[in-house]
Amino acid sequence: MKRNSNDFFKTDLTTWEIGPYHGSLPAPMRLKLSLDGEIIASCQIETGFLHRGLEKACELHSWKSVIAYADHLDPEAAVFGELVLCLGVEEIGEIVVPARAQCIRVILAELTRISSHLAYIVRIARAVGSETIIHYVLRDRERILDLFELLTGARFSLNFLRFGGVCADVTDGFIERVLEVCEMIRIRMKEYNDLFTFNHGFLKRSAFVGTLPTSLIRACGMTGPNARASGVNFDVRKETPYMGYDELEFQIPLGQGEGGNIGDVHDRFLLRLREISQSMEILKQVADRVPAGDFISSKVEKDYVVPPGEAYARIESSRGLLGCHVVSDGKEKPSRVQFRPPSLAHLMAVPELVEGIRIEDLPVVLASLDLGVAEADR
Amino acid sequence: MNTGNDQISWIVSWCRAIGLTPSNTPPWLYALLALLCTFCFVVVPSGAFISYLDRKLSADLQARVGPNRAGPGGLFQPFADILKLLQKDTQKQWGWRENFWLSVHTMALYSTLAVLPLGSVALLVDTEMSAFLPFWSALVLGLGTMLLGLSQESVPGWFGGIRVAAQTLAGSFPALVALLCVGIRAGGFRWSVLANSQGFSPWSWAVFANPFLLVAFFIFVMSGLVLLAIAPLDGGLSMSDIHGGGIFPSFRTEAELISFWEILRIFPLVGNHCGSFSGCLAAPQRLYSWTSET
Amino acid sequence: MDFKSQHEESSGSNHGFLLEGVEPLLTSCTCRGQYLGGVEGILMRFSVFSQLALYIRDVSLGVWSIFESCFTAFPYLFRWGDLRKEVTEGYPDPVSSKTADDLPPRSRGLLFNDIDRCTGCRECERSCPAQCIHIEEEPGADASKIWVSVFDIDFAQCIFCGLCVDVCQPASLIHTRQYEGAAYSLSDLVASFGRGQVTAEQRAKWAALRQLSESDEVTL
Repeated sequence: MKRNSNDFFKTDLTTWEIGPYHGSLPAPMRLKLSLDGEIIASCQIETGFLHRGLEKACELHSWKSVIAYADHLDPEAAVFGELVLCLGVEEIGEIVVPARAQCIRVILAELTRISSHLAYIVRIARAVGSETIIHYVLRDRERILDLFELLTGARFSLNFLRFGGVCADVTDGFIERVLEVCEMIRIRMKEYNDLFTFNHGFLKRSAFVGTLPTSLIRACGMTGPNARASGVNFDVRKETPYMGYDELEFQIPLGQGEGGNIGDVHDRFLLRLREISQSMEILKQVADRVPAGDFISSKVEKDYVVPPGEAYARIESSRGLLGCHVVSDGKEKPSRVQFRPPSLAHLMAVPELVEGIRIEDLPVVLASLDLGVAEADR
Repeated sequence: MNTGNDQISWIVSWCRAIGLTPSNTPPWLYALLALLCTFCFVVVPSGAFISYLDRKLSADLQARVGPNRAGPGGLFQPFADILKLLQKDTQKQWGWRENFWLSVHTMALYSTLAVLPLGSVALLVDTEMSAFLPFWSALVLGLGTMLLGLSQESVPGWFGGIRVAAQTLAGSFPALVALLCVGIRAGGFRWSVLANSQGFSPWSWAVFANPFLLVAFFIFVMSGLVLLAIAPLDGGLSMSDIHGGGIFPSFRTEAELISFWEILRIFPLVGNHCGSFSGCLAAPQRLYSWTSET
Repeated sequence: MDFKSQHEESSGSNHGFLLEGVEPLLTSCTCRGQYLGGVEGILMRFSVFSQLALYIRDVSLGVWSIFESCFTAFPYLFRWGDLRKEVTEGYPDPVSSKTADDLPPRSRGLLFNDIDRCTGCRECERSCPAQCIHIEEEPGADASKIWVSVFDIDFAQCIFCGLCVDVCQPASLIHTRQYEGAAYSLSDLVASFGRGQVTAEQRAKWAALRQLSESDEVTL
């Protein structure tokens, strides 16, 4: 927008549209900012740039293929999409998943959670400009992706879960390698903390910045690590346990505000580091007691057709509460599959959260929310 | 100019002995030739080396392979980069604003190099303003970049311009105070006075004279880094800000000059430090007189 | 609505203008809180001396944390111990560290169809979520043989989910572990495993053969 030199010295608000593609944004989305100097006075958000018609595509393919679509809901944490769909269908069809399959699913889910949180560390480090820790973290995430490839054959879009269990048994040596990777990540976490977590430069950019108030959390329905960092004690694995989580012992970390406020950017970062530790505890417990048995329920045969009914399944994905509403009318294709992505609630909170921060804090705050725009836009 | 005559005698006698130059060449020509030789054989190769070292060290620290495509161990990477830069097409028309920016930068850079003392080889400008001249150049640089940024029609450009102004002022004032300390101790701001007040041994250097000057030295170093936006005080990913919000590497041959500036700005900085705070200025002269005595 | 006031109450120091000047002090006070003692913190919080002391403390903390990060990163520079090898490698290297055989046996690479075992049942075409398999077939020399004339897999659309391999009964369609499938044009990305189209007279010959075997069966 052209301004002549007189207008330049007026102190009314500057309008700046960022997006859909910009280095500071975590994903394609458009932000319309009103700036008063450096402070953001107001913000409007526009999304939908990653809309792929996923839910409609699910209605056009057979039930088995729908798992491959659910896989692609969130490309970084693919297992959670498959898992929530399978849980929904198992509820409709009243299929009991054998214990061994449940353990394998828990292992996959927690490994995906760790991998997703490691990618979160990469995004925050890039937002503040620390390039070194990005490479260290990605090197460790490669070990987890190697584990996925060992078990399922693919690194990101696993397509491994089926209705009633998983599609194949664990390979030899997989469980031992899972424990090795846990141990390696535990050692590396100390390295990350030495290098980055309490680095003074990072603290200055993240402490007291982007504090998420609990009122905003409740108004938008935010869940997951963003909410827990502000003290809202809600985790689907504890509230409505699924997949055997009620038999496992683990604690839900809450934000303590060591760096600055409770619920600021640094708190969200620390909380995800704690969640990685908790996921490793869960993995150790599960790996110790994987029972022998079937890896898929015997009720499900090759051409399984889901009986009529509907169900709503909720799981705790790495970003928050992921829900899936499955409606079946007994035909070979689903009647309706609707996902409730956690990132959509986080996106709703962005305009309110971003008001009052400086423009240079914007990339850090957006990265700290772990926005998965791919799953928000579906 | 007259004080320069005595102190370039060893270069003059060298050149006459070899028969490199006719005997009636004026001293400023020697100074010019010395400057050009230093530029071509010291500064430019250092630029290439430093750019390679930057990539190799950061890759090593990040546990990844550094440049390995051009030459053994990637040693020809700087030349490959220059060749690639020459092949780029311009994305934006080079207008009067960019010419203004470039002329300001060129003036500042080359005039600074011209007034820096090259040891006692040539003291081209030995007035009371000598020590402040590199300063002036840096401030003019800052002004030019700020104006360029403010004249852009985009918000990032304005931010870039204001940021450069703030950065320049933030770097200038502490450095000025540190320089005043040195000059007050030496009794003047001429290069010759600053040189003669410090001796060959480190204990007679200004930096170790008293604790305040030690602090002043560190402040001078950090302010210089801030003023010229040299890592680690360069603001990380804000390079386009520092260029006034413009994305300059999209220009072809003009970009070479700008990329060179990234490397060359170290030299005025280091030259200023050494000249003001240590006895490096006087070193060649003292060495010559010491060897000619023995 | 009280949304704004609730926001201000519980959000701490994210107010905007009012607390801007004091925020740096608060930051350096509360984080690394052990550096600032209790009495000193309360009594002298806003005096000039404490502002100066906090500024210098901030700068020294910044410089020290740069050194701390360097201590963590320098072992990589000198490659001590298990950090001897870099994590990345040039591609394509003359000797790449991973070939197709190094990958796990279940790796889902490019697809391969053994056309001799393929029965032409079209299950893979039906189950593909990306609809990237195109099959054309016709009856062959006798009723049990199907001539699969066209079996094209478009790897530009394939998502490598493995559903087609799952449903293949004769196990003719398999995942190889080959992962280098880049091509310079889209048409190069289509892999054809079919046996090719037959001419009209060949078709007529086969039809005659089929009629012959059918009539044999009837008489038998």
